[in-house]
Amino acid sequence: MKRFILVALSAIMLVSSVACSTSTPEATTKAAADSTTGAAAATTAAAATTESVKQDITITYMVSQDQLQDAEIALGEKFTAETGIKVDYQVIPSDQYVNLLTTKINAGECADIFSSQGGQFDIVSQLNVEKNAVDLSGESWSATVDPLAAAELSVNGKLYGQPIQDVSSVWAIAYNTKIFAANNIQIPTTFDEFKAACETIKAAGITPVYECVSDGWHHVLWFPEMGAAYEAAEPGLIDNLNSNKTTFAASPIMKQSLDQIKEMVDNGYWGEDYMSNAYADAAKNFASGDFAMVVANQGFGAEVEAIGGELKASDVGYFVIPLVDNQILNVNPVGPSRFIYSGSKNIDAAKLYLAYIAKAENLQYLIDNVSKNNTLPFSGVQDKYSDIIKTFYSTYPTHGTVLQTTVKYVNPQWMEIGKEMTALILGDETSDDVLKNIDKNRADQAAAAKDPSWNT
Amino acid sequence: MIEKKSYPIYFIFGALVLYVVLCVIPGLIGVGYSFTDWSSYSDEINFVGFKNFETIFSPDENYLRYLTNTLLFTVFTTFCKTVIGLGLAVLLTKKIRGLNIHRAIMYMPAVISTLIVGMIFKSILNPQAGLLNEFLRSVGLGSFALKWLTNSKIAFWSVMAVDIWKGIGYIMTIFIAGILAISPSYNEAAEIDGASAWQRFTSITLPLLMPTLVVTTVLNVLYGLKVFDIVYALTNGGPGYATEVLYTGVYKEFSLGRFAVGTSLSSVMFVFMLIVGFFMIKIMTREEVEE
Repeated sequence: MKRFILVALSAIMLVSSVACSTSTPEATTKAAADSTTGAAAATTAAAATTESVKQDITITYMVSQDQLQDAEIALGEKFTAETGIKVDYQVIPSDQYVNLLTTKINAGECADIFSSQGGQFDIVSQLNVEKNAVDLSGESWSATVDPLAAAELSVNGKLYGQPIQDVSSVWAIAYNTKIFAANNIQIPTTFDEFKAACETIKAAGITPVYECVSDGWHHVLWFPEMGAAYEAAEPGLIDNLNSNKTTFAASPIMKQSLDQIKEMVDNGYWGEDYMSNAYADAAKNFASGDFAMVVANQGFGAEVEAIGGELKASDVGYFVIPLVDNQILNVNPVGPSRFIYSGSKNIDAAKLYLAYIAKAENLQYLIDNVSKNNTLPFSGVQDKYSDIIKTFYSTYPTHGTVLQTTVKYVNPQWMEIGKEMTALILGDETSDDVLKNIDKNRADQAAAAKDPSWNT
Repeated sequence: MIEKKSYPIYFIFGALVLYVVLCVIPGLIGVGYSFTDWSSYSDEINFVGFKNFETIFSPDENYLRYLTNTLLFTVFTTFCKTVIGLGLAVLLTKKIRGLNIHRAIMYMPAVISTLIVGMIFKSILNPQAGLLNEFLRSVGLGSFALKWLTNSKIAFWSVMAVDIWKGIGYIMTIFIAGILAISPSYNEAAEIDGASAWQRFTSITLPLLMPTLVVTTVLNVLYGLKVFDIVYALTNGGPGYATEVLYTGVYKEFSLGRFAVGTSLSSVMFVFMLIVGFFMIKIMTREEVEE
């Protein structure tokens, strides 16, 4: 009898274990497809209402540290008070965020809501939103999203994301107007003028540029934000990159850009501690007067003023990054956005949260209380552009879109480019190596995505 | 007579089935996937032969660097943990005041979560305002205040140093147990015969501690080859690729959706650990035969 029980138990264990262990990708895909169908059904059913949601639930929101503001947490508390739905913010250090998010999505265990960069190419290749995110087109607020921003969050006419922050703002060089005036420095329009300005600032005992490599993403901005300048120097570059007719490594202008970044670091313009600095401390350090410039968006002046030092928002001016003598304003309708995970058990509650955030008064609250937001890409909100920001925008009449939005397979490898650029700065790699590795990563992603331009 | 005493062969079936189902089959499935182009971008899975392994061993890639980093980590941390752990164990088996407090203090890092250790040391080793550099500057050793985690030449050594600090207590505890198991009469007899402390250590303690040494070495080597968390917490493989190890590479591949390359890296590690494990077991059984 005992022997029979032993054999029977072993057989049950065997069968159950095999059943679990042979969860093949096909099975996972099927499960995901089922949940997508469920999500689609939920969407068709109409936008979520408070009544249809149980009150005692907690939704999880996984977000990168730089993409969640205190004002949103305050709104979250009000949302909880009104609906009873608690929001668990899972804040992840920015250097680990992308890896962790994609791993969680790939493993099928993501939070109910997650933040990620938008971008019409990347939300397909990196996030596969049609499978992993919920269609938000039926939500009441979806029609209020700025059309340009919505286009970057949509696939086949369906909206999948909700913008988190101001996308009108561009990554430019924020500078301390007092330091510039005291040293009689004019806004540089070429790289040589920029170097001359840095030398003057350095001679005055001030670090010219605040840079923070440890975050992994910020120092990358110097390179792809110049996309329009690359296109201007080599017309047709963007199209040729997207159709795989040329490579990064074959572009002299991009090599020049990387070499100029290296030159800046070698000349000491980034100071001593650029490897360990953090962007979260940028405003504080800038306000201290120890640094003259930082790559930032146009909410930075308000952030500096909020530190409470002598420097006011009106003391922070902006000019475009003058690498490769760029004078084109680098616009980007893509920014961090909220997505609802299709495998979530709380899709309706998550939709309620997004709907709550998108209420006109709450969007206005986010504009008024988040320094870096001068506006938000929704209709019916009041912007707060200051004169100095208006002057900045009007200084550069020519606009061009950044590389990470116009060229496929660049944004998903943002952190990888960060590592490559770090290796360049440290002298472990050359600019040619960096460009070749970017090409290789693009080719890998394109091949995996079975992109026809790469497979022919 | 002996045959009657031993258990019948089918007694191993239960354990064998569990082992096969939970360890061998998933391992083989993983190895199987490393010959495919499995990725998050496509639901199709095609056989691609040794393409992924060609990628891994290609000199154009960084994977060989991950492999050498992993091996360096394993050898260096195993050596340091063993030497320092043994030294501390010898000291903490003497009759000294507050012995248990000393032991507890030395063991404490082992019970702290690696992620917390990572956060603490990131702060201590911050080049600008970190405790270590502040201390060095305050005692006039400013020239030794280095960029511990952000200089690509020294970052990996800093990571290894933190790991050694964290791991010593655990290894020391095993050594203490080993030393306490040695009968004091050997030492007493040697002492009466006029043997010095060093002679007693090399001729009595060390030889009798060999089985313990083998166990700690196996533990250290396997831990070293599998290392991930401390690197992830301290540098996340940076600056650049300076501190990448195999498992941070596997994690990165997985997060990029390139599952097949990730499983190929794991398979390489699996084979490598199999070889290392084989020789370790050989050495261990040889010791047992000699005994």
